[in-house]
Parts: sequence; structure tokens; C-alpha cells
Amino acid sequence: MTLSPAEAATGADITISHVRKTFETPRGPIEALAGIDLDIAPGEFVSILGPSGCGKSTLLMALAGLEPATSGHIRISGAPVLSPRRKTGIVFQEPTLLSWKTALQNVLYPAEIAGQRKADHAPRARALLDRVGLAGFEDQRPRGLSGGMKQRVALCRALVQDPDLLLMDEPFSALDAITRDEMAELMLDLWSENSGRTAIFVTHSIHEAALLSDRVIVMRRRPCDVLADVPVPFGRPRRMDVVDTPEFTAFSSHLRGLIAEAMGKTEAQRHV
Amino acid sequence: MSDVMSEAGSDIADRPTAGAARSSRPKPESYLTNDRLLRVARPVLLPTLTAAVLLGIWWALASWADLPAVVLPHPADVWSILKSNFPLLSTHMWHTAYESTLGFLIAMVTGVSLAILITYSAVLREAFYPHLILFQLVPKVALAPLFVVWLGIGAPARLSFATFIAFFPLVIATAQGLTEVPPEMIRLSRSLSATRWQIFRTIRFPYAIPYIFAGMKISVTMAMIGIIVGEFIASQKGLGYLILFASSQANTALILAAVILLCVVGLVQFGIVLALERAVRRVFGSD
Ligand SMILES: Nc1ncnc2c1ncn2[C@@H]1O[C@H](COP(=O)(O)OP(=O)(O)OP(=O)(O)O)[C@@H](O)[C@H]1O
Ligand SMILES: [Mg+2]
Repeated sequence: MTLSPAEAATGADITISHVRKTFETPRGPIEALAGIDLDIAPGEFVSILGPSGCGKSTLLMALAGLEPATSGHIRISGAPVLSPRRKTGIVFQEPTLLSWKTALQNVLYPAEIAGQRKADHAPRARALLDRVGLAGFEDQRPRGLSGGMKQRVALCRALVQDPDLLLMDEPFSALDAITRDEMAELMLDLWSENSGRTAIFVTHSIHEAALLSDRVIVMRRRPCDVLADVPVPFGRPRRMDVVDTPEFTAFSSHLRGLIAEAMGKTEAQRHV
Repeated sequence: MSDVMSEAGSDIADRPTAGAARSSRPKPESYLTNDRLLRVARPVLLPTLTAAVLLGIWWALASWADLPAVVLPHPADVWSILKSNFPLLSTHMWHTAYESTLGFLIAMVTGVSLAILITYSAVLREAFYPHLILFQLVPKVALAPLFVVWLGIGAPARLSFATFIAFFPLVIATAQGLTEVPPEMIRLSRSLSATRWQIFRTIRFPYAIPYIFAGMKISVTMAMIGIIVGEFIASQKGLGYLILFASSQANTALILAAVILLCVVGLVQFGIVLALERAVRRVFGSD
């Protein structure tokens, strides 16, 4: 089945303009975002790639409405982001499941907080769990689930309110290589179903960025801003075997070059 | 995706081999059940055995070691004193049970309330928390006479002393549970625009339940200790008073009979806390 035929006809469009974020610390201010300008179209799957500490999470938290920017503004579907919005789903690096709730109850948690009747959302929650391969695990507690299964529950929880925007902060980085590949394939499948929702995917993985997205934003450190904005040359629906093409190899190595540049390495250092 | 598929697959693959293994082994069924029975019974069996051995040693010493009854009365004498004085003993027992339960309940309400307050108010936390930790270290029983000086001989002194010593483990455990919630869980609920009350009800409180019950289990025995000490120094009633009275009469058998009843009361109270814990965990699905 598709995630639900009638859902998310249009994704959110995002405008990020002159966004800066400075953290005041005892050892002086840290500029985590040094002027970000980005426009993201409805339905785009955008990866944000960059070295550690370049402000990726900070940008995502600002988009989520959890950590406001120091200056500049962010608009999602025209409305300024001042606090978390219901139509934004978030997947964090850790699954962050409530250990005392079952998988199904965890998926329904957003509905519980929104004060909606759980019974109205249960069919959709079950369908989502089924879609990510967790049929039969609805009543398991997190401690009975593997890392990959937990992160799939977290993905269902982010999707249960039928968001028009899905934010993911290194959602697979705590998983082993094989499970990561499985998750990537799942994401590819979900986005081949033409969900229409916009997605922003923070990652350290060149492979995942190239495989999953329509566009890759490469960020750099010092200053923390956008180094490159690269369209991904593969269409949709996309299958895992795209990675075996020479185009994929070439694109990956292009991204690798940009990352090296983002880390401030010279051409000579790269070849050492 | 396919934890589900691979699991189903392995299930099918396993079935024939499992069947083959079962039929090839000669005596599995009854052997396995006996084994399981032993494993289930062992946690009950072993302590019972230990108790029986200790009782046997007591019995043997009292029967043959020729000790004076004041030092070590015979178990049978203790039992007959328990039976013959049961109306007297049970009046005192109810008194102790009632007051220690009340002291525990007051400690529960005040302790959990204070824990919630110090969780939500940084000012209160900074003002109180160091003292709570410090007071944990003070041998609080030494302060019992002070309560008599302040409140006189009677229920108020006993109850407030029992509450006083039952209170600390509870506040500290509860505050710990409420504040040690992983920040990611709080961030998750904030990302869903949860109110403070919703964060308390759906995250902090369920998270703290195991901590609260750990505190309650210490606290319930503390309340009993508090009441006994109170009865030693400020009472004409209760098993603590009876023990003191019996010791002045050199009636060791009566002391032991009273102690047995104290154990019964303590066990029942502890059992109620355990049962409550099960019920609450079921309702909140807490683990
Ligand atoms: N709450 C905070 N207080 C102070 N400094 C912070 C805070 N959060 C982030 N920073 C700093 O801001 C910068 C960017 O951090 P951020 O977490 O956004 O990086 P990141 O790109 O997500 O890194 P990683 O890939 O390691 O997750 C870092 O230098 C970090 O130390
Ligand atoms: Mg990060």
C-alpha cells in the first residue's frame, strides 16, 4: 500500500533568509550559523551534508521551531516559524521512544499530545507500522525492538500526523551498516510513492545524501554557512541499484570533493 | 525491512529441524517440566529452607544448650505466649500498624509534593536539595527525643517523627526520577507543543514511577522504625511500648512474640506497596 493515498498532496515550501545563530557560552560566543539563505520547494528531498560542528543540527532545530535563530527569518508555507508546528514531523538521531509505551502507543504519542482521539489515528498508525515492516510488533515495548526497528517506529511517529515537512537529524547514524542500508531502501520506497511532502535530511554520509535526495546542501565550518547547493542527477522513482551506476560514483566523488573543501583541506592534503 | 520477513522465513526453515530434534531425543517432556518447576520454586524454596534451618538451630539451642529462658526462650514458649496473649498483642499491633501507615501516607503526600516543587522551581531546588542530601547522612533517630520535647508525649510526636524519617528517601528518589528524564524525551514532547502539564503527565511522571516506588519501599520501613522509636520513648500503646514493657519484666518470650507481629505488619505493608506498584505500572504501562 502507499502511505495513504489522499495524504500530503502538497509539501511545505521553505524560505530561510539571513539566518544566524550565536550561542553565548562562558568561553565567549559561538557562531553556529553564519548567515544561511535557502529556498526549498514543496516536495523536495534535501540533504544537508557537512563536517561535524558546522551547524546542521542547529539549522534543523531552528526549522523545527525548537531553538529560534538569533537573527534572520524562516518561513514555512508562508508562515514565520516561532514555535513547533503540528505539520512538521521530526526524526532525531536517537529513536527517543518512551520505554513504557508500546510501539503503537509511541506512534500515537503525537495524537495524544494534540488531544486527538487515539482511536481515530490507530488505523493509520497501524498502517504505517505495517508499511515499515513492523506488522506484528505493535504491542512490543521498545526494549523488545532492535535499533533499526526503534528508528522505524520513530519514523512512523513522525509521519502519523501526516506532516507536510519531515525533518531528520542523522536518523540512521546510530545504526549498523546493514541496517542503515535497509533504512535507506525504506526511505527510497517511501519517497517513490510520491508522498509530496518536503524532507530535510541531515547526514554525514555522502552515500545516503546521493542516494536519497533531490538536492544536496553542503555546509562548511568557520564560517558556518552554505558552501554548495548541488542538484542530484537521478530521477524518481529511484531504486537502490542506482548506486551501481558510474554516474553515482562520479556524483559521490564530486560530493566528497566538496566535503573536503568544507573541511578546509587543500587539494594537496586530499591526496596525502 | 525485513525483520518481519526474515523472522517468518527462519520460522518456516526451523520447523522441520526442531521437530526432528524433538523426536530423536528420548525423555525430553517430563524432564523439561521438572526442570522448570524447580526453577520456579527455587526462589521460594531456598529462603524457606534457610528459615527452617535457623529455626531448627534456635530450637536445638533452646532445648539442649541449657540457656536461661531470659536469654533464649524456647520457640514453643514464644508460640504459646503469642497464642495466650493474642488479644493484648493484637490491640498493640493494630495501634502500631495504624500509626506507621499514617506516618507513611503523610510522608508520601508531603514527599512527592516537595519533589514536584523542587523539580519545577530552580529556586526551591537550590534552597532545599543540598539540605535534603545532607539530612540523609544525619542519623535521624538521634533526633527523636527532640520531637517529644517539642510535641509532648503522644501521637503528634510519634507521627511527625515517623513522617520525618520516612520523608527523606521518598523526596530524594522522586526528585531524582522527575529530573533525570532524558532531555531528548523532553525535546520530543516540546516538538509536539506539549504543555508543561502534558510533559509531566506523559513523560516525567511515568518515567519517575520506578524511582518513586523504590523510594516508597525504603520509606515504608522507615515509617515503621519511626513509630517504634516513638513508642519506646513516648507511648503507652503499640508494640514498641509492649517490647519495652516486656523487657522491664524480663519477659523475653513476649518480646519475641511482639517482634514476630512487627514482622507480619511490616511484610503486609511492604506487600501492599508491591501490589500498588504492579497496579500503577499496569495503568501507566511503566517499566
Ligand atoms: N546549546 C549549545 N550551546 C553552545 N554551543 C552550541 C550549542 N549547540 C551547538 N553548539 C555549537 O554550535 C556549533 C554547531 O553545532 P551543531 O550541533 O549544529 O553541529 P552539527 O553540524 O550538527 O554537528 P554534528 O555533525 O557533530 O552533529 C558547534 O560548534 C557546537 O559546539
Ligand atoms: Mg548534529
